[in-house]
Amino acid sequence: MRAPLNLAEPDPRLYLGGDATLLSGADFNRFFFLFIGAQSLHAAAMGASVVASVVFLRIQDFARRPASEQARLRAQLEAVVAVTGAELEPAGRIVLEASDGAAIVLLRDPIGALRLAQRALTAAAAGLPLSAGINHGALQLSGRKGAEGMTGDGIAVAAAIAEFAAASRLLASRSFRNALADAAPGREVSLLPAGAFKDAGLRDHEVFSLDEKAVARRQLRYTLATAVLVVACVGGGIATRISADSDKPFASAVMDKYPYVRALVQRAGY
Amino acid sequence: MAKKKIGRYKILGELGRGAMGIVYKAEDPNLDRLVALKTIILAEDSAGRAEYQKRFMMEAKAAGKLNHPSIVTTFDYGEHEGMAYLAMELLEGTDLRTRLQKESIPAAEAVAIARQVAEGLAYAHARGVVHRDIKPGNIMLNGGGQAKIMDFGLARMRMADHKTSTGMVLGTPRYMSPEQISGQPVDQRSDIFSLGIVLYEMLTGTRLFAGEDIHQVQHLITQTEHVPPTRQVPGLPPMVDFVVARALKKDPTVRYQDARELAADLATCAAELRSRDPSEPSGEGSRTVKLEALSEKAPDAPPAHMIAVDTKLPVSRLFDAAPALRRLKDASLGHMPRPVGLLRRLYRDAAVRQLFVAVVLAGTAGVVLALGRI
Repeated sequence: MRAPLNLAEPDPRLYLGGDATLLSGADFNRFFFLFIGAQSLHAAAMGASVVASVVFLRIQDFARRPASEQARLRAQLEAVVAVTGAELEPAGRIVLEASDGAAIVLLRDPIGALRLAQRALTAAAAGLPLSAGINHGALQLSGRKGAEGMTGDGIAVAAAIAEFAAASRLLASRSFRNALADAAPGREVSLLPAGAFKDAGLRDHEVFSLDEKAVARRQLRYTLATAVLVVACVGGGIATRISADSDKPFASAVMDKYPYVRALVQRAGY
Repeated sequence: MAKKKIGRYKILGELGRGAMGIVYKAEDPNLDRLVALKTIILAEDSAGRAEYQKRFMMEAKAAGKLNHPSIVTTFDYGEHEGMAYLAMELLEGTDLRTRLQKESIPAAEAVAIARQVAEGLAYAHARGVVHRDIKPGNIMLNGGGQAKIMDFGLARMRMADHKTSTGMVLGTPRYMSPEQISGQPVDQRSDIFSLGIVLYEMLTGTRLFAGEDIHQVQHLITQTEHVPPTRQVPGLPPMVDFVVARALKKDPTVRYQDARELAADLATCAAELRSRDPSEPSGEGSRTVKLEALSEKAPDAPPAHMIAVDTKLPVSRLFDAAPALRRLKDASLGHMPRPVGLLRRLYRDAAVRQLFVAVVLAGTAGVVLALGRI
């Protein structure tokens, strides 16, 4: 029995017209979501549409490798996904197949998506040339039971970013960064701007790379700023009080009360 | 029998007929050896005939230099009464096409046949000879499990001859590579594509590119992707998917570049098939399968660069997705990111909250100090 050819027409719900490709990734996500939302009644009948985080793990140069190596790398990737995805609830993740990688859809969990991508790259460091692209966007379930699949901008952008990323690198979209900020304000600072690129469909993508120390650096900056502001506020209050208690001008009053301040000013004058 | 002798060969019987001529079983009286004598009708006009003869001699000489266990040996060539002939090794057995029509081929045997053909092709390619018409009808199987490639070089003569007469490309379109069926120059990678089709058909028992006319076939070959063999025959090892996928790449630059490489991968497949526990279900013999999984073929998984908004990625069968798929029915699941306002940031962002609280407290203290309350 011969396999039927895949001659199915493109789903009209997913057709956005030629101009859609000129939108930026974030705008496109919004437009796509609104478009799907507007037809939610029809979508509900045909398949569920959601917005979720997608981690696309891609094996670099997969097509150019010998088949024996492809099989080995594929098995390695499956092991990496199994290990890194073990901490996720089965109800919170869907693993999709791509010929040169895998896409993991995480429902309502951008923090988990980032952690999964990080862990996958760490786990794959030994011999598996993996890159990761993360996006937060619209997805739709289709297909009959037992042969389900997912389509949507969430996957397409994640795949494009993973294609762009170098080996062992993780890149995220603007939409994902916003989703991370929404889920855990402050965590988004770990994603630093890494430039922009145009994909094969001429869509512009602004990408962000992960800097795990960025959160700690920000915390330090905020602590220093807090200390400076506290000193300034308290110092300002004290200075105002001194100034109010004296007939002399503010600076003279302070220097009279604290002679070492005068000495300091004189030394600075030299 | 119309002819008793062709050249020095004594005709003993007819083995078959093809587009180019008749194949006889003949005897070489000089060496007292049985041969297969392939006759080729020459063009009628003298100019075309001279050109054809010249090309025939060149191809026959090139084929005659090929001496490999997986290639039918050419012993001699010549011309007799307006027809050219080739004396070749006579094989006892059947060709692969006939075998495929009769029965399905076990996976291990299919891989072994493809491997032998790949080794034969690698040998020929290394000597600058491209077959151009690899198909089941040109692969002979003898009783001892040996596969041999027939008709090296003849495809080019046949195609060139037909081009001059009708302006069309003839050959076996169903087994042509995308570049070959598009009329572009071909090299050894074209044979690899054709062997990929043959391997696919042996493994799955299905025709890969079956169209009603050459335009349909051309469209199928150049545009459509195959369903992985393991989806057609679930017992096959996953390795064969990779081998077939690489051999059937539309772009020759990402296909196997060398038939030797293909043969090596097929050897790995063969080892994997051998190492399987006979009690486990395999692609051969009877087995119990889950009908639900077979009746609904999952769509092909495209690579990252082919994924567009409407590209469907199949849900992996290796990871249980049922709970998450059930959860997808919840319409309120997920939303586009909302901008984080000041209040929410103060509430959720510890660093900003710390700064804010400290500044408020310090400011209050400063005001109290300034107003002289302390």
